Parts: sequence; structure tokens; C-alpha cells
Amino acid sequence: MSNAILRAEGVYSGYGRGDIISDVNISVDRASITTIIGPNGAGKSTFIKTVAGVVRRRAGRILIDGYDVSGMSPSDVSRHAVAYVPQERNIFRSLTVMENLEMGAWIEPRKFDSRVARVLDLFPALNALKVVRAGNLSGGQRQMVAFGMALMVEPKLLLLDEPSAGLSPVMVEQMFAVIQQVRESGIAIMMVEQNAIQALRVSDVGAVMSAGRVAMIGSASELLGDREVAELYLGTRT
Amino acid sequence: MAQVIVNGIVSAALIAPPAVAFSMLFGILRFPNFAIGGYITVGVFAAYAMNVPLALPFWVAALGATLAGAVIVWISDQIIFRPMRTSAPVTLLVVSIALTFVLEHSVRLIFGPDVKGFNLPLERPITLGQIHITRSQIHLIGTALFIIVFTHLLLTRTRTGRAMRAMADNPELAEVRGIRSTLIRVVATLYCGALLGLSGVSAGFDLAIEPLLGWSLTIPIIAAAILGGIGSVYGAMLGAVLVGLAEEFSTLILPSSYKIAVGFGIIAMLLLLRPQGLLGQPEIKK
Ligand SMILES: Nc1ncnc2c1ncn2[C@@H]1O[C@H](COP(=O)(O)OP(=O)(O)OP(=O)(O)O)[C@@H](O)[C@H]1O
Ligand SMILES: [Mg+2]
Repeated sequence: MSNAILRAEGVYSGYGRGDIISDVNISVDRASITTIIGPNGAGKSTFIKTVAGVVRRRAGRILIDGYDVSGMSPSDVSRHAVAYVPQERNIFRSLTVMENLEMGAWIEPRKFDSRVARVLDLFPALNALKVVRAGNLSGGQRQMVAFGMALMVEPKLLLLDEPSAGLSPVMVEQMFAVIQQVRESGIAIMMVEQNAIQALRVSDVGAVMSAGRVAMIGSASELLGDREVAELYLGTRT
Repeated sequence: MAQVIVNGIVSAALIAPPAVAFSMLFGILRFPNFAIGGYITVGVFAAYAMNVPLALPFWVAALGATLAGAVIVWISDQIIFRPMRTSAPVTLLVVSIALTFVLEHSVRLIFGPDVKGFNLPLERPITLGQIHITRSQIHLIGTALFIIVFTHLLLTRTRTGRAMRAMADNPELAEVRGIRSTLIRVVATLYCGALLGLSGVSAGFDLAIEPLLGWSLTIPIIAAAILGGIGSVYGAMLGAVLVGLAEEFSTLILPSSYKIAVGFGIIAMLLLLRPQGLLGQPEIKK
């Protein structure tokens, strides 16, 4: 059995006419963290959505743990232990925090109790907010709910689209700490991030997307040390 | 004065359950379904057919109307709206108006255009001081209260109900979490259909039974749903009370034939002042 939990092979997808992403090849190992960076509009969200089944792939293959999930609906992909957290609208605003978490365990309701205990351990702040409508929470609290709901899936692969967006610097640190903790528990993570340096520091693999293609892929430390990447995407100079 | 309030509450009891159904259907099907009038007409005539020509007891007829409503809403969704689900909401709205005419004319074809009534013992209004209310109006209010409490419990205390709220709130995320939209859609259309069929029975209690019955209720129902914030079930209940009272109070200053204009007036004013309704949250689009 291969060590890859996700293999994307020559994936093309898009919305209307023309492809937004072309020939994307990425594979993610078990219990590893992969970060995708790149300019706005590069197709990062589109790629992650394609893996989740939200956007249909037009060509290529997507394998989750060896199963071909290309062309499956999002609800079928989620049954392969994939949890996707969208960049926007990633919670149910009119549901309470607990109801949001319940939707995370929708496929396996009997596992709700044990999983919710673990999620509340990871995000203790949610304990006091259980019956609050998620739409009334602060931005940081909403991110916790979105992340917590995804963990309720007990995924093998977690797809995060800009998990640190809109968080204060302290909260960003905490978010990446939690992401590392999640990886320690054996879950693979593929995320898109604008806080590129911090994200790459906790990652094993980094990829740069540009104009719908993978422009560069390598170990995270390689990307952090690369002059060109630093100038173009990290906003630092060496 | 007190009589006007009582009449307003009776109107509200008539409008609230179908307004809730309209709002729920909007949340799951994602378009304003104007066929509610046709569904209500089918409900009331199903009850009439069982109660009068077939001479079945009234409660059997009411149950039959509830089932007929559920079936007609479910079938019309399966053969018309679901296959068209990628069309623009405006297209679906127009189709639903056409459907209401088809249903209404089918009923007219079968039952004829003349006014009918249920086979119920004649009753004298109960008088409390200056207030008159009939026993069937009390039934009507009781039914509406029961439906509202039941719907509330369904939406908050059952797993399927919570999934329905999740889907109405954020359909894409619901799908990503593994909720099967087709299944929820079936449950929602059956339940809302049952509510609309039962609403037909209530309407037949209080108003003349004729094919245009449902259509004449459509505007106040939609006014109530918009007033409360379309898609918000609790808002629809509140909206129904306000529309019911507004309609009855208007009869103090206007001829009662203008009652229907109150609904239009409320819709027009809201669209100008607060399009998201009273309890609705402004839609945040990406
Ligand atoms: N739902 C959609 N329908 C049509 N086009 C879309 C849709 N979503 C995104 N696009 C287009 O696809 C391209 C890539 O968008 P995408 O959201 O994948 O970029 P991104 O790399 O995630 O950018 P950002 O860093 O701003 O989040 C953009 O040109 C965008 O206009
Ligand atoms: Mg994006």
C-alpha cells in the first residue's frame, strides 16, 4: 500500500468555458502537512474544491487512499473520510455551535459523543458557546467552529482553505499549533494559505500555484529557502 | 375592537401554517413557489370529495387532504421542479404560477365552478361579552398552534429537521458534510405538502370552498413569509399574525373587499424598506 492519502494526477477543472486549473499533480502523504501558496486567482481554491468534489474535475484522476473519487459528488467524497473547510461560508450561521458540530458527524451519528469530546478538548473556548447561534460568533470563534466541524468527520484528509484568514496574529499562531496537533493524531492536511511563511514552517511539503498550474513543489524548507519564491510569494528578501 | 383582534387571530391562524410551508420550501428548493395556492385548493377539494360525495367522517377527510397535499407537492417537485433545479429562480417562479393555474383548472374541471361547503353540523357562534367566535374557528386556531409547535420540534429536536435547517442555511456546505440533498428534498416537500393540504381544510372551514380559494390566500401568505424574512420559519409565524391583524384592522377604515390589497401593500413596503424581512438576516453573498 502506498503512503499517499491523496494523489491528484493530471487534474483539470473549471467553472464555465476554459479550464481554471490545468494538469495539476500533487500527492499528499499520510499524517503530513502540505501547503499551497500562490497569488490571488491562481486557482488554489478551485483545486481544493475539485478534490472535495464541489467542482467537477474535467480530466485526470483523484485518488483518496487508493480509491478513485474523481467525478463523485461532495457527499460521496466526504464518505471517503475527506473533510473540506471552504474559504467562505464555512459554517451554518443559523445553527447553534453544537448543531454545527453535529453536522460534522452526519455520516456517523453514533460517533458524535466521543468525537465532540475531543473537539471540545482541542477548542476549549467552544464549551461556553455550545448553544449560541454560530452566526453570532466572532470571526475567530467561527473559524474554530468550522475547523471543529471538519474534525467531527474524523477525516484521513483535511482540506483547509485559508484557515488563518481574518484571525489576529495570536490566533494565527494558535491555529497553526492546532493544525500541527491534528497532524500528530495521524490526519493528513492540505491547506491553502496567505500567511505563507508561518504555514510553510509547520508544513512538510510546499507547492506554489500560479495561473492554474503547479509552478513549483518541494519540501517546505526548500521553498522557504528559495530566493525566487521568497521574492515573489513570501514578501521577504534574503 | 376586541372582535377585530379575534378576527385577526383567526386570519393569522389561516395564514401561518401555509406561510411556514412556503418559507421552508423556499429554504430547501431555493425559489418562491407560488403554486402554494394550487396545493391548498387541491387540499380543500380532496377533503370536500371525501366528506361530501363520499360521506366520510370529517376527520378522515382532513387526514385525506393532508395526504393529498403531501403527494401533490412531492410529485410536482419530482416531475417539474427538481429536473429544473439548475434554472434561475425567476423561471421556477413563473413555472410555479403556471402550475397553480393548472391545478386550479383541473379542480374546476372535476368539481365545477360553484361554491361548496363541508358537511358539518350547523353551529351558532359562541358569545363571550361582545366577542363572537365559532367552534370551527377555535379548531382552526388550535390546529395552527399545534402545527407551529410540531414544526418547531421537528426542526430543532430531530436529526432530519436539523439537517433541513442546515441545508436551507448553506446547501453547499451541507452537501460537503455528507447530507444527501435529494433525501432532504423529499422530506421537505412531503412535510410542506401535508401542511398545505391541512391548510386547505382550515380554509374550507372559514371561507367558501371554490377553485380560487387557494389563489385568494396566496398574496397574504407570501406577504406573511416576506414580512417575517423569507426562509425564516419563525418569521413566517410572526408575519402571519401581523398580516392577519393588519387585514382585519383595515376593514375598520376600508371596505372589506380591499383586504387583499393589504397584503400587496405590505409586500411593496417591505421590499422598499427592509427586503430581508423582520427576522431575516441580510444575505451575505460572496
Ligand atoms: N464559482 C465560480 N464561478 C466562476 N468562476 C470562478 C468561481 N470561483 C472562482 N472563479 C474563478 O477562478 C479563478 C481562480 O479562483 P480561485 O478562487 O480558485 O483562486 P484562489 O487561488 O483561491 O484565489 P484567492 O487567493 O483570492 O483565494 C479566478 O479567476 C476566479 O474568477
Ligand atoms: Mg481562494
